[in-house]
Amino acid sequence: MATEYVKFVDVTKCDGCRACMVACKNWNDLPAEPQDFLGSAQSHTKTTADTWNVLQYIEHENSKGDLDYLFRHSACFHCTDAACEKVCPENAISYTEFGTVVIDHEKCVGCGYCVNNCPFEVISLKEYIDKNGDKYRKANKCTMCTDRLEEGLQPACVTTCHTGAMEFGDKAAMIKKAEERVSQIKDRYPNAMVYNPQGVGGTHTVYVLAEKPSVYGLPENPKVPTSAVVWKDYAQPIGKMMIGATTMAVVGAFITNTLMSKKNGKNEDGGEHHE
Amino acid sequence: MSKPQKSNVKVRRFSKAFVWAHGVNAISFLALYITALPMYTEFFDWLYPVLGGPEGARLLHRIFAVTFVLPTFIWVIFDWKGFKLWMKELVTWKKRDLEFFTEFVKELFGFNFKHVRQTFFNAGEKINSIIQIFTALLIIGSGIPMWFSEYFPRAVVQWGYLLHNVGFGLAIAVVVGHVYLSVIHKNSKPGYSGVITGEVPAWWAQEHYPDWYDEEVAKGNFPEIDKDGNPKKPTSPDKKKKKGA
Repeated sequence: MATEYVKFVDVTKCDGCRACMVACKNWNDLPAEPQDFLGSAQSHTKTTADTWNVLQYIEHENSKGDLDYLFRHSACFHCTDAACEKVCPENAISYTEFGTVVIDHEKCVGCGYCVNNCPFEVISLKEYIDKNGDKYRKANKCTMCTDRLEEGLQPACVTTCHTGAMEFGDKAAMIKKAEERVSQIKDRYPNAMVYNPQGVGGTHTVYVLAEKPSVYGLPENPKVPTSAVVWKDYAQPIGKMMIGATTMAVVGAFITNTLMSKKNGKNEDGGEHHE
Repeated sequence: MSKPQKSNVKVRRFSKAFVWAHGVNAISFLALYITALPMYTEFFDWLYPVLGGPEGARLLHRIFAVTFVLPTFIWVIFDWKGFKLWMKELVTWKKRDLEFFTEFVKELFGFNFKHVRQTFFNAGEKINSIIQIFTALLIIGSGIPMWFSEYFPRAVVQWGYLLHNVGFGLAIAVVVGHVYLSVIHKNSKPGYSGVITGEVPAWWAQEHYPDWYDEEVAKGNFPEIDKDGNPKKPTSPDKKKKKGA
């Protein structure tokens, strides 16, 4: 991997225009998902199989008792240690040379293990109908426009952002920028922080958040679920060893039995008389 | 082989309910294993087209999941006495059960061994039963949140994946031994036809489960037999019928 790139999202510069949502739909050919009014300016509750990024609108009472209207561009974080990649039984989810995490629909069987293990809950299953009328499912999420990255372009959401709230660039430089930004806004947002959670090895979308992660509905310390680690790193390999071991044992038993009965065949006395 | 011919006098070992329960359990277990195999290891991905794609495999897995739950009910409803005996045997452990295992290992690999007197179920069958009950609970208990994940908290579903894996991983390892012992291993082979027909040769029953056999003789259910399995001369008055255990 040459340069490691991250998407840097400075939520304090976002004006909530939702151009990123439109650009994403446009580039990725995703159909619109009409929704009933949810009680705020926010269009969808969370990301879905056809809506890979959602702009959050949060009315938050800050520590001074004032109202803060917070925005956040939400999409896949592209974790360095991605739980979805770990639990996928078909190796359909993989890391690209850019550090992005992508789903191969040729391999995906729609089991939903990734959906239920993603610490950020950004993956969804979509139901398709094939030409015979049979239904099948595939997991969907933001690809960080990996197909654009491959062509030397930036993600569609970043390109379209008119306030400069999003930037795509060298990881170290972006993190440095994020840290500087936090120190600039500390007096206005005392809880401001860089969100690049280490529990998942850092992410390829790095945020400057104005408030604590929980205010945005984000986990304070996301990690690959312990159950997933025990499952994939211990239970599954040990299980495979165990069936190998018992199979070897019975094969061994069969061989020694054959040898023994040959040896004892003449005097037909194995201490016992079985047929 | 030129060994003396054993008598084929038979006695009933298992009730019809048990035979059905065991059969449904065995077929469901294997079907569940096969329909999930391509997800367990990519080496078996070629099974997807055979099973009708991932969707076909998923549907079959759910159908057999339901049939996998049935055997306990079949046994409990149609042969409560047999089920109770099973439960009682599973919690009864004596010194001879430990001796059984030492002798079992010798027998397994074809060395000289002696039979340790056993009751209706031998210690090996009891261990097998206990592990299968435990793993079935794990598999069923975790399978429900995996199937109906939208109704369960994420953490329950996540731990469900792990427990499902642990459950069937342990179960299949034991099943390999269980099937080998009945289908292939020469000394316990009559157990295989026994679990299908419900009946086993009298000599074999007496040799492997003497305590049980003697008990049934005392009750007048089974004939007294000699070493080759032929009923002894002063035949007990019960030529009538061999009744269930």
